[in-house]
Amino acid sequence: MNLIEKYLAKAAGKETVSPGMDLTCSVSYVAAHDVTAPIAIKMFRQIGVKQVFNPDRVALIVDHIYPASSEKARDNVWIMDDFAKEFGVHLYQRGEGVIHQLMYEKHRAQPGELVVIADSHTGTCGGYGAVGVGVGSTELAAAMATGKLDLEVPEVVQVYLTGKCPGNVFGKDIILYLGSKFGTDHLVDRALLFTGPGIEGLSVAERMTICNMGIELGSMITLFGTAEREPDTVEDLELDLGSLEPMIACPFSPANVAPVSKVAGTAVTQVVVGSCTNGRLSDMEQVVKVFRGRKVSPEVNTLIVPASKEILEQMEERGWCKIMRDAGATVLNPGCGSCFGAHEGLTSARDVVVSTTNRNFPGRMGSMKANIYLASPATAAATALTGKITVPNV
Amino acid sequence: MNTIQGKVIVLGDDVDTDQILPGYAMAEPYDQLGKFAMAGLASGDFKTVYEPGCILVAGRNFGCGSSREQAPIALRQAQIALVIAKGFARIFRRNAINIGLPVWAADVAGSLKTGDRIEVDLEQGTVVVNGEKKQFQPMAENVMKTLTYGGLIPRVRAELGITEREGE
Repeated sequence: MNLIEKYLAKAAGKETVSPGMDLTCSVSYVAAHDVTAPIAIKMFRQIGVKQVFNPDRVALIVDHIYPASSEKARDNVWIMDDFAKEFGVHLYQRGEGVIHQLMYEKHRAQPGELVVIADSHTGTCGGYGAVGVGVGSTELAAAMATGKLDLEVPEVVQVYLTGKCPGNVFGKDIILYLGSKFGTDHLVDRALLFTGPGIEGLSVAERMTICNMGIELGSMITLFGTAEREPDTVEDLELDLGSLEPMIACPFSPANVAPVSKVAGTAVTQVVVGSCTNGRLSDMEQVVKVFRGRKVSPEVNTLIVPASKEILEQMEERGWCKIMRDAGATVLNPGCGSCFGAHEGLTSARDVVVSTTNRNFPGRMGSMKANIYLASPATAAATALTGKITVPNV
Repeated sequence: MNTIQGKVIVLGDDVDTDQILPGYAMAEPYDQLGKFAMAGLASGDFKTVYEPGCILVAGRNFGCGSSREQAPIALRQAQIALVIAKGFARIFRRNAINIGLPVWAADVAGSLKTGDRIEVDLEQGTVVVNGEKKQFQPMAENVMKTLTYGGLIPRVRAELGITEREGE
Protein backbone atom coordinates (compact mmCIF):
# COMPACT_ATOMS: atom_id res chain seq x y z
CA MET A 1 0.00 0.00 0.00
CA ASN A 2 1.10 3.56 -0.63
CA LEU A 3 0.72 6.32 1.97
CA ILE A 4 -2.75 7.39 0.83
CA GLU A 5 -3.99 3.79 0.92
CA LYS A 6 -2.50 3.35 4.41
CA TYR A 7 -4.27 6.48 5.65
CA LEU A 8 -7.59 5.49 4.10
CA ALA A 9 -7.30 1.95 5.47
CA LYS A 10 -6.77 3.36 8.94
CA ALA A 11 -9.75 5.73 8.59
CA ALA A 12 -11.90 2.79 7.47
CA GLY A 13 -10.60 0.40 10.15
CA LYS A 14 -9.24 -2.07 7.58
CA GLU A 15 -5.95 -3.95 7.39
CA THR A 16 -5.47 -3.43 3.68
CA VAL A 17 -7.23 -1.59 0.86
CA SER A 18 -6.71 -1.39 -2.89
CA PRO A 19 -7.90 0.91 -5.70
CA GLY A 20 -11.61 0.73 -6.43
CA MET A 21 -12.57 -0.62 -3.01
CA ASP A 22 -15.59 1.13 -1.46
CA LEU A 23 -14.87 2.33 2.08
CA THR A 24 -16.78 3.98 4.88
CA CYS A 25 -14.19 6.19 6.56
CA SER A 26 -14.24 7.98 9.92
CA VAL A 27 -13.92 11.73 9.54
CA SER A 28 -11.80 13.89 11.86
CA TYR A 29 -13.01 17.37 10.82
CA VAL A 30 -16.01 18.66 8.90
CA ALA A 31 -16.42 22.23 7.64
CA ALA A 32 -18.44 24.35 5.24
CA HIS A 33 -18.63 28.01 4.20
CA ASP A 34 -21.36 30.52 3.41
CA VAL A 35 -21.91 29.21 -0.14
CA THR A 36 -22.13 25.52 0.79
CA ALA A 37 -23.28 25.52 4.43
CA PRO A 38 -26.83 26.87 3.96
CA ILE A 39 -27.78 23.95 1.67
CA ALA A 40 -25.87 21.49 3.88
CA ILE A 41 -27.90 22.74 6.85
CA LYS A 42 -31.13 22.35 4.89
CA MET A 43 -30.14 18.76 4.02
CA PHE A 44 -29.01 18.04 7.58
CA ARG A 45 -32.41 19.07 8.88
CA GLN A 46 -34.07 16.85 6.27
CA ILE A 47 -32.12 13.83 7.51
CA GLY A 48 -33.79 14.47 10.85
CA VAL A 49 -31.00 13.63 13.36
CA LYS A 50 -30.88 15.64 16.57
CA GLN A 51 -27.14 16.27 16.86
CA VAL A 52 -23.93 16.51 14.86
CA PHE A 53 -21.38 13.70 15.26
CA ASN A 54 -19.02 15.88 17.34
CA PRO A 55 -19.70 19.63 17.68
CA ASP A 56 -16.05 20.38 18.46
CA ARG A 57 -15.02 18.91 15.08
CA VAL A 58 -17.49 20.91 12.98
CA ALA A 59 -16.69 24.45 11.75
CA LEU A 60 -18.81 26.85 9.73
CA ILE A 61 -16.92 29.76 8.17
CA VAL A 62 -18.23 32.90 6.48
CA ASP A 63 -15.57 33.73 3.92
CA HIS A 64 -17.07 33.88 0.43
CA ILE A 65 -19.27 36.93 0.82
CA TYR A 66 -18.19 38.90 3.90
CA PRO A 67 -19.16 41.58 4.69
CA ALA A 68 -22.45 40.72 2.99
CA SER A 69 -22.85 42.22 -0.48
CA SER A 70 -26.62 41.72 -0.51
CA GLU A 71 -29.58 41.01 1.73
CA LYS A 72 -29.65 37.43 0.39
CA ALA A 73 -26.01 36.89 1.31
CA ARG A 74 -26.73 38.14 4.81
CA ASP A 75 -29.72 35.77 5.09
CA ASN A 76 -27.34 32.87 4.43
CA VAL A 77 -25.15 33.95 7.36
CA TRP A 78 -28.16 33.94 9.67
CA ILE A 79 -28.92 30.33 8.64
CA MET A 80 -25.38 29.44 9.78
CA ASP A 81 -25.67 31.51 12.96
CA ASP A 82 -28.93 29.79 13.95
CA PHE A 83 -27.47 26.36 13.26
CA ALA A 84 -24.26 27.04 15.21
CA LYS A 85 -26.26 28.17 18.25
CA GLU A 86 -28.62 25.19 18.06
CA PHE A 87 -25.98 22.48 17.56
CA GLY A 88 -22.98 24.03 19.35
CA VAL A 89 -20.57 23.91 16.40
CA HIS A 90 -17.77 26.44 15.73
CA LEU A 91 -18.74 29.51 13.73
CA TYR A 92 -16.41 32.13 12.26
CA GLN A 93 -18.43 35.01 10.87
CA ARG A 94 -16.48 38.23 11.52
CA GLY A 95 -13.89 38.11 8.76
CA GLU A 96 -11.48 35.71 10.47
CA GLY A 97 -10.34 34.32 7.14
CA VAL A 98 -10.69 31.81 4.34
CA ILE A 99 -11.82 28.31 5.29
CA HIS A 100 -8.67 26.37 4.31
CA GLN A 101 -6.38 28.78 6.15
CA LEU A 102 -8.63 28.87 9.23
CA MET A 103 -8.72 25.08 9.40
CA TYR A 104 -4.91 25.17 9.42
CA GLU A 105 -4.77 27.87 12.10
CA LYS A 106 -7.64 26.80 14.39
CA HIS A 107 -8.56 23.16 13.68
CA ARG A 108 -5.40 21.63 12.30
CA ALA A 109 -5.73 17.94 11.43
CA GLN A 110 -2.88 15.57 12.21
CA PRO A 111 -1.08 13.83 9.35
CA GLY A 112 -3.28 11.06 7.98
CA GLU A 113 -6.52 12.38 9.46
CA LEU A 114 -9.48 12.72 7.10
CA VAL A 115 -10.83 16.26 6.58
CA VAL A 116 -14.14 16.70 4.75
CA ILE A 117 -15.05 20.21 3.65
CA ALA A 118 -17.82 21.35 1.35
CA ASP A 119 -15.38 23.17 -0.91
CA SER A 120 -13.41 21.94 -3.88
CA HIS A 121 -10.08 23.23 -2.53
CA THR A 122 -10.12 20.95 0.52
CA GLY A 123 -7.02 19.21 -0.81
CA THR A 124 -5.09 22.18 0.66
CA CYS A 125 -4.64 20.30 3.95
CA GLY A 126 -2.53 17.73 2.10
CA GLY A 127 0.21 20.35 2.40
CA TYR A 128 0.44 19.54 6.11
CA GLY A 129 -0.13 15.83 5.67
CA ALA A 130 -3.89 15.52 6.24
CA VAL A 131 -6.17 13.80 3.73
CA GLY A 132 -8.63 16.37 2.41
CA VAL A 133 -11.69 15.37 0.39
CA GLY A 134 -13.89 18.09 -1.08
CA VAL A 135 -17.61 17.31 -1.20
CA GLY A 136 -20.90 19.02 -1.95
CA SER A 137 -23.51 20.11 0.56
CA THR A 138 -25.51 16.87 0.74
CA GLU A 139 -22.48 14.68 1.43
CA LEU A 140 -21.33 17.23 3.98
CA ALA A 141 -24.70 17.02 5.73
CA ALA A 142 -24.37 13.24 5.91
CA ALA A 143 -20.79 13.51 7.23
CA MET A 144 -21.88 16.08 9.81
CA ALA A 145 -24.61 13.71 10.99
CA THR A 146 -22.64 10.47 11.01
CA GLY A 147 -18.94 11.39 11.22
CA LYS A 148 -18.44 9.07 8.25
CA LEU A 149 -17.74 9.49 4.55
CA ASP A 150 -18.17 6.87 1.85
CA LEU A 151 -15.45 6.92 -0.77
CA GLU A 152 -13.74 4.61 -3.18
CA VAL A 153 -9.99 4.08 -2.92
CA PRO A 154 -8.36 6.10 -5.72
CA GLU A 155 -5.46 5.07 -7.92
CA VAL A 156 -2.46 7.14 -6.92
CA VAL A 157 -0.23 9.09 -9.28
CA GLN A 158 3.15 9.87 -7.71
CA VAL A 159 5.23 12.95 -8.44
CA TYR A 160 8.77 12.36 -7.20
CA LEU A 161 10.54 15.69 -6.72
CA THR A 162 14.30 16.18 -6.84
CA GLY A 163 16.52 19.24 -6.82
CA LYS A 164 15.81 22.77 -5.62
CA CYS A 165 13.67 25.52 -7.13
CA PRO A 166 15.50 28.47 -8.72
CA GLY A 167 15.04 31.69 -6.70
CA ASN A 168 12.05 32.91 -8.74
CA VAL A 169 10.19 29.58 -8.80
CA PHE A 170 7.65 28.69 -6.08
CA GLY A 171 5.00 26.11 -5.23
CA LYS A 172 2.56 27.85 -7.56
CA ASP A 173 4.91 27.41 -10.51
CA ILE A 174 5.26 23.69 -9.71
CA ILE A 175 1.52 22.99 -9.71
CA LEU A 176 0.98 25.11 -12.84
CA TYR A 177 3.73 23.16 -14.58
CA LEU A 178 2.02 19.91 -13.57
CA GLY A 179 -1.24 21.28 -14.98
CA SER A 180 0.49 21.60 -18.33
CA LYS A 181 1.61 17.96 -18.05
CA PHE A 182 -1.56 16.32 -16.74
CA GLY A 183 -4.34 18.56 -18.11
CA THR A 184 -7.67 19.11 -16.37
CA ASP A 185 -9.09 15.58 -16.19
CA HIS A 186 -6.31 13.00 -16.22
CA LEU A 187 -6.47 12.81 -12.41
CA VAL A 188 -10.27 12.69 -12.02
CA ASP A 189 -11.11 10.04 -9.38
CA ARG A 190 -7.38 9.61 -8.77
CA ALA A 191 -5.04 11.00 -6.12
CA LEU A 192 -1.80 12.92 -6.43
CA LEU A 193 1.04 12.10 -4.03
CA PHE A 194 4.24 14.16 -3.77
CA THR A 195 7.42 12.47 -2.57
CA GLY A 196 11.16 12.70 -3.12
CA PRO A 197 14.07 14.65 -1.66
CA GLY A 198 12.86 17.78 -3.47
CA ILE A 199 9.93 18.21 -1.07
CA GLU A 200 12.30 19.04 1.78
CA GLY A 201 13.03 22.44 0.25
CA LEU A 202 9.32 23.33 0.05
CA SER A 203 7.71 25.17 2.98
CA VAL A 204 4.34 24.06 4.37
CA ALA A 205 2.83 27.19 2.76
CA GLU A 206 4.16 26.18 -0.66
CA ARG A 207 2.96 22.62 -0.18
CA MET A 208 -0.49 23.98 0.68
CA THR A 209 -0.49 26.04 -2.53
CA ILE A 210 0.35 22.93 -4.55
CA CYS A 211 -2.30 20.78 -2.84
CA ASN A 212 -4.85 23.60 -3.14
CA MET A 213 -4.71 23.37 -6.92
CA GLY A 214 -4.70 19.58 -7.24
CA ILE A 215 -8.44 19.80 -7.90
CA GLU A 216 -7.77 21.90 -11.02
CA LEU A 217 -6.12 18.76 -12.40
CA GLY A 218 -9.17 16.76 -11.28
CA SER A 219 -7.42 15.14 -8.31
CA MET A 220 -9.64 13.75 -5.53
CA ILE A 221 -6.89 13.81 -2.85
CA THR A 222 -3.59 15.66 -3.08
CA LEU A 223 -1.00 14.89 -0.43
CA PHE A 224 2.63 15.46 0.51
CA GLY A 225 4.36 12.31 1.74
CA THR A 226 8.02 11.90 2.62
CA ALA A 227 11.33 11.89 0.74
CA GLU A 228 10.91 8.13 0.27
CA ARG A 229 9.41 6.83 -2.96
CA GLU A 230 6.00 5.21 -2.38
CA PRO A 231 5.03 1.75 -3.74
CA ASP A 232 1.80 0.69 -5.47
CA THR A 233 1.18 3.77 -7.59
CA VAL A 234 -0.30 3.66 -11.10
CA GLU A 235 2.00 6.31 -12.55
CA ASP A 236 5.26 7.91 -11.47
CA LEU A 237 6.55 11.22 -12.76
CA GLU A 238 9.99 12.46 -11.75
CA LEU A 239 10.50 16.21 -11.70
CA ASP A 240 13.77 18.10 -11.17
CA LEU A 241 12.74 21.37 -9.52
CA GLY A 242 15.97 22.96 -10.70
CA SER A 243 14.77 22.66 -14.29
CA LEU A 244 11.66 24.83 -13.75
CA GLU A 245 11.08 28.47 -14.62
CA PRO A 246 8.18 30.76 -13.55
CA MET A 247 4.91 29.52 -15.10
CA ILE A 248 1.58 31.19 -15.84
CA ALA A 249 -1.88 29.81 -16.67
CA CYS A 250 -3.38 31.67 -19.63
CA PRO A 251 -7.10 32.21 -20.31
CA PHE A 252 -9.32 30.26 -19.76
CA SER A 253 -8.02 27.14 -18.02
CA PRO A 254 -5.69 26.51 -15.08
CA ALA A 255 -4.02 23.89 -17.30
CA ASN A 256 -3.44 26.25 -20.26
CA VAL A 257 0.05 26.94 -18.98
CA ALA A 258 3.10 28.61 -20.51
CA PRO A 259 6.41 29.89 -19.13
CA VAL A 260 5.94 33.52 -17.97
CA SER A 261 8.68 34.48 -20.44
CA LYS A 262 6.43 33.38 -23.36
CA VAL A 263 3.65 35.89 -22.54
CA ALA A 264 5.84 38.61 -20.94
CA GLY A 265 4.88 42.10 -22.09
CA THR A 266 1.10 41.51 -22.14
CA ALA A 267 -0.54 44.63 -20.68
CA VAL A 268 -2.63 44.09 -17.51
CA THR A 269 -5.18 46.22 -15.65
CA GLN A 270 -5.61 44.30 -12.39
CA VAL A 271 -3.37 42.24 -10.15
CA VAL A 272 -4.76 40.14 -7.29
CA VAL A 273 -2.54 38.55 -4.65
CA GLY A 274 -4.25 36.35 -2.10
CA SER A 275 -6.87 33.63 -1.58
CA CYS A 276 -6.65 30.12 -0.15
CA THR A 277 -4.06 29.42 -2.84
CA ASN A 278 -1.52 32.18 -2.20
CA GLY A 279 -2.66 34.45 0.64
CA ARG A 280 -0.21 33.29 3.31
CA LEU A 281 2.54 35.28 5.03
CA SER A 282 5.34 33.96 2.80
CA ASP A 283 3.28 34.99 -0.25
CA MET A 284 2.93 38.47 1.16
CA GLU A 285 6.67 38.53 1.82
CA GLN A 286 7.28 37.95 -1.90
CA VAL A 287 5.15 40.98 -2.68
CA VAL A 288 6.80 43.21 -0.08
CA LYS A 289 10.25 42.33 -1.40
CA VAL A 290 9.19 43.59 -4.83
CA PHE A 291 7.14 46.61 -3.67
CA ARG A 292 9.41 48.07 -0.99
CA GLY A 293 10.23 51.65 -1.96
CA ARG A 294 8.60 51.28 -5.39
CA LYS A 295 5.25 52.17 -7.01
CA VAL A 296 2.87 49.91 -8.88
CA SER A 297 1.84 50.95 -12.38
CA PRO A 298 -0.85 53.64 -12.35
CA GLU A 299 -2.67 51.55 -14.99
CA VAL A 300 -3.20 48.65 -12.57
CA ASN A 301 -5.63 47.94 -9.68
CA THR A 302 -3.46 46.05 -7.24
CA LEU A 303 -5.53 44.11 -4.71
CA ILE A 304 -3.93 42.29 -1.77
CA VAL A 305 -6.17 39.76 0.01
CA PRO A 306 -4.61 37.99 3.02
CA ALA A 307 -5.99 34.49 3.67
CA SER A 308 -6.73 35.24 7.33
CA LYS A 309 -6.97 37.95 9.96
CA GLU A 310 -3.96 36.41 11.72
CA ILE A 311 -1.90 36.87 8.55
CA LEU A 312 -3.20 40.43 8.14
CA GLU A 313 -2.20 41.23 11.74
CA GLN A 314 1.31 39.90 11.14
CA MET A 315 1.54 41.97 7.97
CA GLU A 316 0.57 45.06 9.96
CA GLU A 317 3.04 44.30 12.75
CA ARG A 318 5.85 44.02 10.24
CA GLY A 319 4.89 47.22 8.47
CA TRP A 320 4.09 45.33 5.26
CA CYS A 321 0.61 46.82 4.80
CA LYS A 322 2.14 50.30 4.78
CA ILE A 323 4.75 49.27 2.23
CA MET A 324 2.01 47.84 0.02
CA ARG A 325 -0.24 50.89 0.39
CA ASP A 326 2.65 53.27 -0.20
CA ALA A 327 3.32 51.36 -3.42
CA GLY A 328 -0.25 52.06 -4.50
CA ALA A 329 -1.83 48.71 -3.68
CA THR A 330 -5.14 48.22 -1.85
CA VAL A 331 -5.09 45.83 1.10
CA LEU A 332 -8.51 44.18 1.41
CA ASN A 333 -10.06 42.20 4.24
CA PRO A 334 -9.39 38.45 4.33
CA GLY A 335 -11.90 36.53 2.22
CA CYS A 336 -12.73 34.83 -1.07
CA GLY A 337 -14.35 37.81 -2.80
CA SER A 338 -11.91 38.79 -5.54
CA CYS A 339 -11.30 35.17 -6.56
CA PHE A 340 -14.76 33.96 -7.42
CA GLY A 341 -16.66 36.83 -8.96
CA ALA A 342 -19.25 37.70 -6.33
CA HIS A 343 -17.85 41.02 -5.03
CA GLU A 344 -14.66 43.02 -4.38
CA GLY A 345 -12.82 43.50 -7.64
CA LEU A 346 -15.13 42.41 -10.45
CA THR A 347 -13.86 42.91 -13.99
CA SER A 348 -15.27 44.41 -17.18
CA ALA A 349 -14.64 43.11 -20.69
CA ARG A 350 -11.64 45.48 -20.97
CA ASP A 351 -9.77 43.99 -18.04
CA VAL A 352 -6.75 41.74 -18.09
CA VAL A 353 -5.96 40.21 -14.70
CA VAL A 354 -2.93 38.48 -13.27
CA SER A 355 -4.05 36.68 -10.12
CA THR A 356 -2.49 34.29 -7.64
CA THR A 357 -5.85 32.52 -7.20
CA ASN A 358 -6.72 29.08 -8.54
CA ARG A 359 -9.20 29.48 -11.41
CA ASN A 360 -9.36 31.51 -14.61
CA PHE A 361 -12.56 30.09 -16.07
CA PRO A 362 -14.60 32.41 -18.33
CA GLY A 363 -16.46 34.90 -16.13
CA ARG A 364 -14.71 33.75 -12.97
CA MET A 365 -14.00 37.34 -11.90
CA GLY A 366 -17.00 39.09 -13.43
CA SER A 367 -16.94 39.72 -17.18
CA MET A 368 -16.99 36.67 -19.46
CA LYS A 369 -14.53 38.50 -21.68
CA ALA A 370 -11.95 39.56 -19.10
CA ASN A 371 -8.72 37.64 -19.58
CA ILE A 372 -7.41 36.07 -16.39
CA TYR A 373 -3.88 34.74 -15.92
CA LEU A 374 -2.78 32.72 -12.87
CA ALA A 375 0.73 33.04 -11.47
CA SER A 376 2.84 33.14 -8.31
CA PRO A 377 2.86 36.16 -5.95
CA ALA A 378 6.37 37.01 -7.17
CA THR A 379 5.22 37.09 -10.81
CA ALA A 380 2.05 38.99 -9.86
CA ALA A 381 4.01 41.61 -7.90
CA ALA A 382 6.59 42.11 -10.66
CA THR A 383 3.70 42.49 -13.10
CA ALA A 384 1.95 45.08 -10.91
CA LEU A 385 5.06 47.28 -11.00
CA THR A 386 5.45 47.32 -14.77
CA GLY A 387 1.79 46.97 -15.81
CA LYS A 388 2.87 44.17 -18.12
CA ILE A 389 3.30 40.46 -17.47
CA THR A 390 6.84 40.27 -16.12
CA VAL A 391 9.24 37.49 -15.19
CA PRO A 392 10.19 38.01 -11.53
CA ASN A 393 13.84 38.53 -10.66
CA VAL A 394 15.72 35.60 -9.17
CA MET B 1 -37.41 6.86 -15.08
CA ASN B 2 -36.69 3.88 -17.30
CA THR B 3 -36.34 5.92 -20.45
CA ILE B 4 -35.68 9.61 -20.93
CA GLN B 5 -36.61 11.36 -24.18
CA GLY B 6 -35.68 14.89 -25.08
CA LYS B 7 -34.02 17.46 -27.26
CA VAL B 8 -30.24 17.46 -27.21
CA ILE B 9 -28.04 20.49 -26.52
CA VAL B 10 -24.43 19.73 -27.41
CA LEU B 11 -21.71 21.39 -25.29
CA GLY B 12 -17.91 21.19 -25.38
CA ASP B 13 -15.16 19.98 -23.02
CA ASP B 14 -14.43 21.38 -19.54
CA VAL B 15 -17.82 23.03 -18.95
CA ASP B 16 -17.02 24.33 -15.46
CA THR B 17 -19.32 25.14 -12.57
CA ASP B 18 -18.92 28.90 -13.12
CA GLN B 19 -20.49 28.35 -16.55
CA ILE B 20 -23.24 26.13 -15.14
CA LEU B 21 -24.00 28.57 -12.32
CA PRO B 22 -21.90 31.75 -12.03
CA GLY B 23 -20.47 33.01 -8.74
CA TYR B 24 -22.80 36.01 -8.70
CA ALA B 25 -25.79 33.66 -8.28
CA MET B 26 -24.37 31.97 -5.18
CA ALA B 27 -26.40 33.96 -2.68
CA GLU B 28 -29.69 33.41 -4.51
CA PRO B 29 -32.39 31.60 -2.54
CA TYR B 30 -32.46 27.83 -3.09
CA ASP B 31 -35.69 27.79 -5.11
CA GLN B 32 -34.55 30.55 -7.49
CA LEU B 33 -31.38 28.87 -8.78
CA GLY B 34 -32.99 27.39 -11.92
CA LYS B 35 -33.25 30.87 -13.45
CA PHE B 36 -29.44 31.04 -13.59
CA ALA B 37 -28.81 27.58 -15.07
CA MET B 38 -26.03 27.76 -17.69
CA ALA B 39 -26.04 31.58 -17.39
CA GLY B 40 -22.25 31.63 -17.63
CA LEU B 41 -21.91 29.44 -20.72
CA ALA B 42 -18.84 30.64 -22.60
CA SER B 43 -19.91 29.61 -26.09
CA GLY B 44 -23.34 29.96 -27.69
CA ASP B 45 -26.59 31.33 -26.31
CA PHE B 46 -28.14 28.66 -24.13
CA LYS B 47 -31.53 30.41 -23.84
CA THR B 48 -32.24 30.23 -27.57
CA VAL B 49 -31.83 26.42 -27.71
CA TYR B 50 -33.11 25.52 -24.24
CA GLU B 51 -36.46 23.85 -23.61
CA PRO B 52 -37.71 22.12 -20.44
CA GLY B 53 -36.90 18.41 -20.49
CA CYS B 54 -33.85 18.82 -22.71
CA ILE B 55 -30.72 16.64 -22.46
CA LEU B 56 -27.23 18.17 -22.19
CA VAL B 57 -24.54 16.26 -24.09
CA ALA B 58 -20.97 17.29 -23.30
CA GLY B 59 -17.35 16.26 -23.74
CA ARG B 60 -14.62 15.72 -21.16
CA ASN B 61 -14.70 16.86 -17.54
CA PHE B 62 -18.21 18.32 -17.28
CA GLY B 63 -18.73 20.17 -13.98
CA CYS B 64 -15.08 20.83 -13.18
CA GLY B 65 -14.30 23.50 -10.62
CA SER B 66 -16.32 24.40 -7.58
CA SER B 67 -18.06 22.01 -5.18
CA ARG B 68 -21.18 24.20 -5.31
CA GLU B 69 -24.19 21.87 -5.18
CA GLN B 70 -26.17 24.84 -6.49
CA ALA B 71 -24.86 23.91 -9.97
CA PRO B 72 -26.71 20.58 -10.37
CA ILE B 73 -29.64 21.97 -8.36
CA ALA B 74 -29.98 24.78 -10.93
CA LEU B 75 -29.97 22.24 -13.78
CA ARG B 76 -32.61 20.14 -12.04
CA GLN B 77 -34.79 23.19 -11.33
CA ALA B 78 -34.45 24.19 -15.00
CA GLN B 79 -35.87 20.72 -15.81
CA ILE B 80 -32.74 19.44 -17.53
CA ALA B 81 -33.74 15.78 -17.82
CA LEU B 82 -30.26 14.29 -18.08
CA VAL B 83 -26.62 15.23 -18.57
CA ILE B 84 -24.52 12.88 -20.69
CA ALA B 85 -20.78 13.56 -20.89
CA LYS B 86 -17.66 11.74 -21.94
CA GLY B 87 -16.49 12.39 -18.37
CA PHE B 88 -17.55 14.26 -15.23
CA ALA B 89 -15.55 15.99 -12.55
CA ARG B 90 -15.86 13.93 -9.42
CA ILE B 91 -17.53 16.36 -7.01
CA PHE B 92 -20.10 17.50 -9.60
CA ARG B 93 -20.96 13.91 -10.47
CA ARG B 94 -21.53 12.99 -6.84
CA ASN B 95 -23.50 16.19 -6.14
CA ALA B 96 -25.77 15.56 -9.12
CA ILE B 97 -26.58 12.00 -8.08
CA ASN B 98 -27.04 13.09 -4.46
CA ILE B 99 -29.70 15.64 -5.46
CA GLY B 100 -31.36 13.32 -7.96
CA LEU B 101 -30.15 14.79 -11.27
CA PRO B 102 -29.30 11.92 -13.65
CA VAL B 103 -25.76 12.19 -15.03
CA TRP B 104 -24.37 9.46 -17.24
CA ALA B 105 -20.81 9.00 -18.47
CA ALA B 106 -20.99 7.93 -22.12
CA ASP B 107 -19.16 9.23 -25.18
CA VAL B 108 -22.21 10.00 -27.34
CA ALA B 109 -21.37 13.59 -28.36
CA GLY B 110 -19.66 12.77 -31.65
CA SER B 111 -22.81 11.41 -33.26
CA LEU B 112 -25.17 14.17 -32.08
CA LYS B 113 -25.94 17.81 -32.83
CA THR B 114 -28.01 20.38 -30.97
CA GLY B 115 -31.70 19.91 -31.79
CA ASP B 116 -31.54 16.13 -32.27
CA ARG B 117 -34.13 14.18 -30.30
CA ILE B 118 -32.94 11.08 -28.50
CA GLU B 119 -34.30 8.38 -26.25
CA VAL B 120 -32.02 7.09 -23.50
CA ASP B 121 -32.41 3.95 -21.41
CA LEU B 122 -29.97 4.32 -18.52
CA GLU B 123 -30.49 0.80 -17.17
CA GLN B 124 -29.82 -0.76 -20.58
CA GLY B 125 -27.20 1.82 -21.57
CA THR B 126 -28.83 2.51 -24.93
CA VAL B 127 -29.35 5.68 -26.94
CA VAL B 128 -31.84 5.81 -29.81
CA VAL B 129 -31.28 8.59 -32.36
CA ASN B 130 -33.13 8.72 -35.70
CA GLY B 131 -34.44 5.21 -35.12
CA GLU B 132 -30.94 3.80 -34.66
CA LYS B 133 -30.06 2.20 -31.31
CA LYS B 134 -26.52 2.51 -29.92
CA GLN B 135 -25.10 0.63 -26.96
CA PHE B 136 -23.01 2.18 -24.16
CA GLN B 137 -22.08 1.22 -20.60
CA PRO B 138 -25.28 1.04 -18.49
CA MET B 139 -25.65 3.27 -15.43
CA ALA B 140 -24.23 1.66 -12.28
CA GLU B 141 -26.88 -0.16 -10.24
CA ASN B 142 -26.17 1.72 -7.01
CA VAL B 143 -26.46 5.07 -8.78
CA MET B 144 -29.74 4.00 -10.40
CA LYS B 145 -31.06 3.17 -6.96
CA THR B 146 -30.22 6.60 -5.52
CA LEU B 147 -31.78 8.30 -8.57
CA THR B 148 -34.92 6.21 -8.23
CA TYR B 149 -35.35 7.52 -4.69
CA GLY B 150 -34.87 11.06 -5.96
CA GLY B 151 -31.49 11.58 -4.31
CA LEU B 152 -29.33 10.56 -1.36
CA ILE B 153 -31.38 12.11 1.47
CA PRO B 154 -34.67 10.39 0.51
CA ARG B 155 -32.74 7.15 0.01
CA VAL B 156 -31.05 7.38 3.42
CA ARG B 157 -34.36 8.26 5.10
CA ALA B 158 -36.06 5.30 3.44
CA GLU B 159 -33.25 2.92 4.35
CA LEU B 160 -33.23 4.14 7.97
CA GLY B 161 -37.01 3.87 8.12
CA ILE B 162 -37.44 7.56 9.03
CA THR B 163 -41.04 8.45 8.28
CA GLU B 164 -41.57 11.64 10.28
CA ARG B 165 -41.99 14.76 8.19
CA GLU B 166 -38.78 16.34 6.87
CA GLY B 167 -37.44 19.14 9.03
CA GLU B 168 -37.08 22.57 7.49
